Amino acid sequence: MLLNTENTAKPPRRITGRQIEYLILTALVALTLSLLFVMGFFSHAMAETNDSKPQRFAGYVRPNDMGAGALLFPSKEPGSFVEAPRLATDVVIDVNGPIIRTRVTQRFQNPSKGWVEGTYVFPLPENSAVDTLKMQIGDRFIEGEIKAREEARRVYEEAKAEGKKTALLEQQRPNIFTNQVANIGPGETIVVQIEYQSSVHQSGGEFSLRFPMVVAPRYNPDPIVQTVDLDVKTGYAVNDPVPDRDKIAAPVLDPTENAKINPVTLTVNLNAGFPLGTVTAPFHQTDMQTVDDMARRISLKGGSVPADKDFELSWNAIAGKTPNAGLFRETQNGKTYLLGFVTPPAASAATETPAKREVVFVIDNSGSMAGPSIEQARDSLALAISKLKAEDKFNVVRFDDTMDVHFPSLVPATPDNRENAIAFVRGLTADGGTEMLPALEAALRTQGPVEPGALRQVVFLTDGAIGNEAQLFEEISKNRGEARVFTIGIGSAPNTHFMTKAAEIGRGTFTLIGSEDQVAARMGELFTKLENPVMTDIAVSFDGANAQDITPNPMPDLYRGEPVVLTAALDGASAAGKLQIIGKTGNQPWRIEMDVAKASEGKGIAKLWARRKIDDLEANAYAVNDAAALDKQIETVALANHLVSRVTSLVAVDVTPSRPAGEPVVSTDMPLNLPEGWDFEKMFGENPQQAIPEGQRKASLERSEQQASLIADRMAAAPTARAASVIADAGKQVDLPQTATLADRNILIGLLLLAFALMAATTFSLWRWQLRGLVLEARDRVR
Amino acid sequence: MSDKPGNDAILEHDKPGSDKQEPIKEGRAGFLARLNALETVVLAGILLIALAGVMLVGKGFYMKAKAEFSQVLLKRSFEAQLQGETNAKPWPWADFSTEAEITALRIGKTAVVLAGASGEALAFGPARLSNTPVPGELGTSVIAAHRDTHFRWLKDVKQGDLLVITRKDGTNLTFRAGTSRIARWDESGINANAPGRNLVLATCWPFDAIEQGPLRYIVNAELVEDAGPSTLAAQGEPGKLPVKSF
Repeated sequence: MLLNTENTAKPPRRITGRQIEYLILTALVALTLSLLFVMGFFSHAMAETNDSKPQRFAGYVRPNDMGAGALLFPSKEPGSFVEAPRLATDVVIDVNGPIIRTRVTQRFQNPSKGWVEGTYVFPLPENSAVDTLKMQIGDRFIEGEIKAREEARRVYEEAKAEGKKTALLEQQRPNIFTNQVANIGPGETIVVQIEYQSSVHQSGGEFSLRFPMVVAPRYNPDPIVQTVDLDVKTGYAVNDPVPDRDKIAAPVLDPTENAKINPVTLTVNLNAGFPLGTVTAPFHQTDMQTVDDMARRISLKGGSVPADKDFELSWNAIAGKTPNAGLFRETQNGKTYLLGFVTPPAASAATETPAKREVVFVIDNSGSMAGPSIEQARDSLALAISKLKAEDKFNVVRFDDTMDVHFPSLVPATPDNRENAIAFVRGLTADGGTEMLPALEAALRTQGPVEPGALRQVVFLTDGAIGNEAQLFEEISKNRGEARVFTIGIGSAPNTHFMTKAAEIGRGTFTLIGSEDQVAARMGELFTKLENPVMTDIAVSFDGANAQDITPNPMPDLYRGEPVVLTAALDGASAAGKLQIIGKTGNQPWRIEMDVAKASEGKGIAKLWARRKIDDLEANAYAVNDAAALDKQIETVALANHLVSRVTSLVAVDVTPSRPAGEPVVSTDMPLNLPEGWDFEKMFGENPQQAIPEGQRKASLERSEQQASLIADRMAAAPTARAASVIADAGKQVDLPQTATLADRNILIGLLLLAFALMAATTFSLWRWQLRGLVLEARDRVR
Repeated sequence: MSDKPGNDAILEHDKPGSDKQEPIKEGRAGFLARLNALETVVLAGILLIALAGVMLVGKGFYMKAKAEFSQVLLKRSFEAQLQGETNAKPWPWADFSTEAEITALRIGKTAVVLAGASGEALAFGPARLSNTPVPGELGTSVIAAHRDTHFRWLKDVKQGDLLVITRKDGTNLTFRAGTSRIARWDESGINANAPGRNLVLATCWPFDAIEQGPLRYIVNAELVEDAGPSTLAAQGEPGKLPVKSF
């Protein structure tokens, strides 16, 4: 029909037809362009709103970034903190035999003109127990008391509401705690003192300790990210609330300068309990004094620049005097606590031929391993397989929500088989769910009996993102048999709790591989262990003493150079009897006896025992159905030993000596008198002087003032103490995820596009038919 | 193009008989072929736009369908979990676990809550933020869900409404909704360690916006310590609980 009407069009309309043609075409192009523009604009706006979180502005930190003790104040950037100026740090480490007691005293300042609530963070070394917290805020003294977590929090909140100085130290995860400090007044100085206990690390005759000192990356000028928030209704963006953000230039503080401003003094009183050989601090310059042949006094060299490394100190005995056993005890509340260590004879083991091994590798290729994790796992596993010896046997199991056992049974590690398995591993991709249990069952149960004299080892590579830990633990403890389970944690945030515990139940070890460049080194360490177990089947018993709670339980295998370290609680204040440790080196039984009565006195053993006991209780949570009862048990142990744990916290109570009424109020900078038993004198003297020339000193003072005013600029201080607590709470807020899908938008845009396409198609067909009409017409005319 | 018979028939009219087809049929059979280059481009463009439209609409509905359907599967696996099956998975390749069920009594909606609010989990159901405690524990637990699927009903929750949470250990907890407010996602003011046992439900705001934005709608709720009739009702008469998933 259309055709007909067009056919009847008169010649003069031809030009108008052309024009219409072009017009329509132009309109089409314009419409398409504008549509594309709108779409691009949408996605652009989205990208900006999603990204609007400030990307770590210079000078701002987060609690998890801290590598050394620091006091953090809420900043003007929500969720970020600024570090309080650290005026001085003093560390005293007392080493008595196997026990380390560390006291850290740090002095900070509130440089602002308002009130703040701060958070003190301190990274603790492994397995340490915090038991003491003392603080001075302005002219008030507060001291931590151990209380059940809930009660402690209540006390803290009440004191805070009343405007009192108060502090609360809670454990977030093992070895991570936070200490909130409320009601810090303008310009006030804060002194924090914490004490914790840990044990000396021993390996291969070397004894060592570590103190965290890494300064977090601060004052690195980061790019400023300008954020644009488009108003949903108007489509306009409001200007950035801090217009001159880029003028707050980030000063680059180099560590040398920082050290002069924030002096650190560190003293180690080393009392090894045996004649000392060499004592070294590999990363720092130290002064060393010899007290006697068993004791040293080590201090950081005055003015030495703290390296960007934790402080480490290692020592050993003079040749031939390396202790191979030790027993220490402490009596507390009618109980005797024992700490024993034994280094088994290594010489005989070295001459023996290494045992044959039967290794079952289990690799997790579930979706949570996607990205760098699976690459690390593949590399680690390929390396492990390539290191097998020809007389070893092995198999590979991979699992996600399905699983494959690569060889039907254990196969000899011939070059062909190794190649084959490595190719299989290299081809793995990460996808699907995490069904660990069947894989574990396959590894533990279906690989046939262990050959006499061989070592069965199950090596498990995973990120441990699973929910049924209890079941897995049960499976391991029931079916491990002769096998040893070694876990390798992959990725940046593996479930270390699961893997540590799985390895413990499986009498193996846990290895953490955090990044690609650690693969070779960490796996190397593990292989040495796997190849050289010195002693297996270790058991501890007491003869003639009623022993409870020997930890660890079960005892792990020993590898070259490692000692057995055990703690135990015995009934009675004057325990007697014998401690027996039995084990097997190769096929040869080994046995040692120690007389409990001859143990030397040591301090802090009860606390060490309590810490390990709590660890054991936490770790056995999978076997206890009643969570409340477990919490109660932990609480009892923790309260009795004044320890911070998951269910107990230290809450600080004001213990300031009251000032006689008639006495004039003196300067608040210097306290009148210290509470008894307080040892802050280092903190009250002037900063340790290192005979700095006048000019330099002035310059450094100026710099420190500069730094202080800079920090004050960024702090979100409040005019009153109460407002400060509101700000602090806001700083700890939870970020909410994006909770709008693009479904509606997609549908809407889709419908718009469809409508547009329909319209365009109609126009096009009209145009097309018109064109056709013109062509026909032209043909007619030619005829 | 010129080798196509239809085209020739039109443009080169001096060879009209070269094509076997009748002129009347040409309009149909050689439709595409009779377009010149420009026209083909225009037509292809239109088709592309239409295709993109269909895909976008399809994707949008797929997301919605996924959210609805997964809740059915999640519910099944959550019930299995309540029966004591520890390893219940909604589908074999799911890489997350169910944690609780939330029911708004007055509105009559329920949804299964997942652990860990990753973007992936949120596509399937409401999720508890992993840096907040489990509902009923000390502190503030935060459950977030999409405003256009699982938490579409959140705007209807009024102050005083009862929210029942069934945890995977079988505990029934009743929370009473309190105030609601709107905040930026990075200025939520929610403190996971706040005193008391609190629950926060969060979704995007404004509810009918079609873009993703920085604002969130937050409903505060407090544990009703003396769990009275509502909890009993929830425990005793499951049949009375709403069955629909959203």
